[in-house]
Amino acid sequence: MIEIAIDLIIAMGVVGLALQTILGASVFRAILMFIVFGLLMAMAWARLHAPDLALAEAAIGAGITGALLLVTWRRLQAMDGRTPRVGIAARAPWLSIASGIFAAALIVALGWVSLSLPAEPAAAGELAWQRLPEVGVSNPVTGVLLAFRAYDTLMEMGVLLAAWLGARAVASELRPGALPGPAHAEVPLVGALLSLVVPISLLVAVYLLQAGGSAPGGAFQGGAVLAAGGVLLCLSGRLEAAERSSITERIGLVLGLAVFSCIGLVMLFMGEPMLAMPGVWAIYLVETALLLSIALTLVLLFAAAPGLRRAP
Amino acid sequence: MMAWLLPLVALVLLLNLTLGMLRVYQGPTAADRMLAALLFGSTTVAVLLVFGEWMAVPALRDVALLFVMLAAIISVAFVGLPEADEEETP
Repeated sequence: MIEIAIDLIIAMGVVGLALQTILGASVFRAILMFIVFGLLMAMAWARLHAPDLALAEAAIGAGITGALLLVTWRRLQAMDGRTPRVGIAARAPWLSIASGIFAAALIVALGWVSLSLPAEPAAAGELAWQRLPEVGVSNPVTGVLLAFRAYDTLMEMGVLLAAWLGARAVASELRPGALPGPAHAEVPLVGALLSLVVPISLLVAVYLLQAGGSAPGGAFQGGAVLAAGGVLLCLSGRLEAAERSSITERIGLVLGLAVFSCIGLVMLFMGEPMLAMPGVWAIYLVETALLLSIALTLVLLFAAAPGLRRAP
Repeated sequence: MMAWLLPLVALVLLLNLTLGMLRVYQGPTAADRMLAALLFGSTTVAVLLVFGEWMAVPALRDVALLFVMLAAIISVAFVGLPEADEEETP
């Protein structure tokens, strides 16, 4: 009885907040509704016994998207109603129509194919669960992500890199202004907060990575937490945008993809299936590289900058 | 005895959240809405801890700790907002 009431409140709350986020007239209120929506989603994942997803929701929702949307609102206000410089979309409307039709056709085709496939009764899941002990990690989510579905995970890193490259391409067209100057740079409390939260975010990121082997956690959650520390440094003006990305940043952006592919290819040349993991050490090595790349990409996306440097 | 107590606590906390939604919805100022949203963060931590104990999913404590650690980021992002024009931006 009480359980049903709890689940009902969460379910109705999620739908109601989603509607408020989309339909709300005030941008600021919609942003706050979205932040609260993230909190409720974490509770929903918790009720669904999916603590991995609740962790990801907490790290990304509370650490990055909330701050990102508030800062975007700030930039919109700084623009004071001026419309941004219109880019390619207005110059070639046929291009957006054509790509829209192409995207719709792709979705229809994919949906058609997946509907016409014969339904296999969870054969892969059962098999993966039975053979999980051979992987060497006891958390099934990490096992599936890095051993059974490694190709998907590799592609996800590719998507993240593509997202950053896409953001860079659009930024050269739209030229978003620098982050509005922090009004609280000189407040001593901010320094105290930074010296507390930033080291802890590093600690928690490493903890989540290590815990990912046997408990909920992993590279994606850890990377988002580390990125949250970077977001805080950007917000308080300790890090600022640089005109170009440094070599270290470029290496960091592709590190996850590179290490993952290298191990995968080496295994291919040794006669194993591509992306097979030679051992638990390789899983942790790949996860560490993924964590660093994810964190750096998210911070650079947040700052909308090609690179970052310490503020003078 | 504990079997019904923990879900009841979670339910009361959730009802608390629903009432707090009124403050986010009505405002009247941006700061009111922001404070209500931050209060939601604290309540979410409490709900997750109760869920973790009730459903025997200890990993939910990690989620709760993560929310505690990251709660400050949104307030730092908010405090830097310009004070004027806080209402009904189109």
